[in-house]
Amino acid sequence: MRIDDTHKKWLIASLAIFVVATAIYIPYAMASPHGPSGASALGLTFGIVGFAFMVFAGFLGARKRFPLWRIGRAQTWMRGHLWLGLLALPLIFYHGGFRFGGPLTSALMILLIIVVASGVFGAALQHYLPTVMTAEVPLETIFEQIENVQGQLLDEADQIVGRVTALVSPLATAVPARVAIVTEEVAAITETDIAPLRMFYEREMRPFLEKPGERKHSLADPAQARAMFEGLRTLLPPQIHESVSDLSEICEEERELRRQVRLHHLLHDWLLLHIPLSLALLVLAAVHIVMALRY
Amino acid sequence: MPRAKRTTKQIAQRIDLNYFKRPNRWRTWRFVLSLLLPCLAVLWLAAYGLARNNRIYSSGKMSRAHAVLTEQCASCHLSSAASFRASASDQACLSCHDGPIHHADQVFTPTCSSCHVEHRGQLRLAATAVESCTQCHSNLHTTGGSVPYVQHISDFSSGGHPEFAALRPGFRDPGTIKLNHAIHMKAGLLGPNGARVQLDCDDCHRADSGNQNWRFTGATMQEISAAATSSGPTMTAQNYGPPSRSSARAYMQPVTYAKHCAGCHPLPFDKRFAESVPHDTPEVVHAFVVKRFQDYIAAHPGELREAASTISLPTRPLPISPRVYGSQREWVNARVAEAEELLWRKTCAQCHLLLFAPGADLPKVAKSNITVRWFQHAVFDHEAHRAWTCTSCHSKTTSSQETADVLVPGIRTCETCHHEGAEGAEARCFECHTYHDWSRAKTTKGKVHFSSALQIGRGPASY
Repeated sequence: MRIDDTHKKWLIASLAIFVVATAIYIPYAMASPHGPSGASALGLTFGIVGFAFMVFAGFLGARKRFPLWRIGRAQTWMRGHLWLGLLALPLIFYHGGFRFGGPLTSALMILLIIVVASGVFGAALQHYLPTVMTAEVPLETIFEQIENVQGQLLDEADQIVGRVTALVSPLATAVPARVAIVTEEVAAITETDIAPLRMFYEREMRPFLEKPGERKHSLADPAQARAMFEGLRTLLPPQIHESVSDLSEICEEERELRRQVRLHHLLHDWLLLHIPLSLALLVLAAVHIVMALRY
Repeated sequence: MPRAKRTTKQIAQRIDLNYFKRPNRWRTWRFVLSLLLPCLAVLWLAAYGLARNNRIYSSGKMSRAHAVLTEQCASCHLSSAASFRASASDQACLSCHDGPIHHADQVFTPTCSSCHVEHRGQLRLAATAVESCTQCHSNLHTTGGSVPYVQHISDFSSGGHPEFAALRPGFRDPGTIKLNHAIHMKAGLLGPNGARVQLDCDDCHRADSGNQNWRFTGATMQEISAAATSSGPTMTAQNYGPPSRSSARAYMQPVTYAKHCAGCHPLPFDKRFAESVPHDTPEVVHAFVVKRFQDYIAAHPGELREAASTISLPTRPLPISPRVYGSQREWVNARVAEAEELLWRKTCAQCHLLLFAPGADLPKVAKSNITVRWFQHAVFDHEAHRAWTCTSCHSKTTSSQETADVLVPGIRTCETCHHEGAEGAEARCFECHTYHDWSRAKTTKGKVHFSSALQIGRGPASY
């Protein structure tokens, strides 16, 4: 979600709550004989409000999972999740008087810090990266289908090379009609002419397309790939330069898809930390509430 | 031939329309982790629960004194069958500690935990905050209505504490022993055996009765010890203060004649005798003098007839006719009268206040009333301040000429070091004052067996 003008009201309200909470906390902390305590009236109030914010933030998952619960717009819930979740951190610090306490409370503070920090990190990513993705991945596709599309690119590349190869070999297999138009132009091409292409394809391009996870391949770098294809053109007859261009575009599309995968991971993998830890945080917080009231 | 440009339809056709029905690796991981981490958290709690160890719920580190009870939550957190709560109550504290009331007429009694806050990792639980005291003493009231003490005290450093009682206007040293500190601190005083000496503070004032010799006393250490024992109680912290922190060298030992004065101030009574009269009541001194003269005249009967003598006057010598005493008793009476005239009018009167009642043969010596402990409502430890010279705090001593001068330092002197801030010595109330009236302390009997104290905590006990 981009943090834009629609967040302004939430920002102002959150700042106001923070300022008010701080204005209450400072004299309370200075006046407390033995320092602020979570068990004091104000300490409890901070804790209750902070926990309420955490619970509200946790309900975002339920709201998204059950969209038929039309309790407010999903965007409103998202904004609330961001700002009230962020506010929970200072409020819980005020609740504990900036002390970590015993084992359970220390674990809670650490979890809260990690959850909020990961949330801030994720919010920043989700603010900046979509624009980057639009600029760098014009051929963006559905993430779950990237592997499928990459397979299709490999097939397409095989077909282009097969077409070129078939044109010079008397034993070439039939090629689809839409790629057989240039028969008269490639009739003069010999096996020797296309050897560089075949060699390049077998040694460089096909392995590049077959292993999407390999990042250190020379074709993964746009400048290097451009240079390689430019060099390849100098070794091939002009009649098949267009096929070389097609292959170059396929490599470009492959690079974009790989870029999309990386950006997608950046955009979403932090949630694998944020969501489970926040659930653990809520569970432990509930236990802390019960036991703190007991003792 | 140009690469076939994709149409929207072709792009859409690349997508498998049933992809969302198949498991997604990322979502699967999210689901698994969302179950796993909370379960691990619950397992963590359960592990402590199965071990019946509740220290996981502790709100912080225990104080040093109670650290051994870290896993014995039930030692302090008592619960009843009817209540879910198991907070630390005064009942738990009092089962091990006695906490005598501060004043019988105090308006309210705070709970133990309101002043002695646990679970903060403190070294000393007795190190209470100033506010624990000023909650009453900032505006003191009593149940009886009268307030015999200063009513408004806020803290020590900022002028919120009154001057010490002994230094307030109108207060004078109640002691009757005449002493001029200024003279005693001068150089070149006449000391034992005619030597010229310079006294130091610890030639008279020491915080312990240890093994160091007194420089200017003429008696042996055994004589001194015997005399000291007979002359009164030895000052200890336990005599005049609460237990705990004060060391055996907190207060100055009382000044005694035998240790501190006899070396320079002998008590001669007659030129016939080198010895001094005993430093005792007039009755004892009288009996001593009489006995001495009786023994003397019995051994020297010839002195019943005095030899002729002259008194040298400025103009001419005055002959004194010899006197003949009719009996030894008459001689003894005359000599005793002369000796006691010397003693009561000069020797003893040099330091003591003697009261001559009409018709009484012997004077009464006024009680010395030497104040041993000046702060009746505070503790002080000289041992803790041994790094400083005496005159750092007792700055008026070298110029004090009057017995009535009170030479204890004032509050401003203490504030030189004892003030708030990282560079100040402790300035909170507990450093000098105690809340509990330890004179009313009751002996508490331990209830926890050593072996059970080191077992794992079994949750709050039910009473």
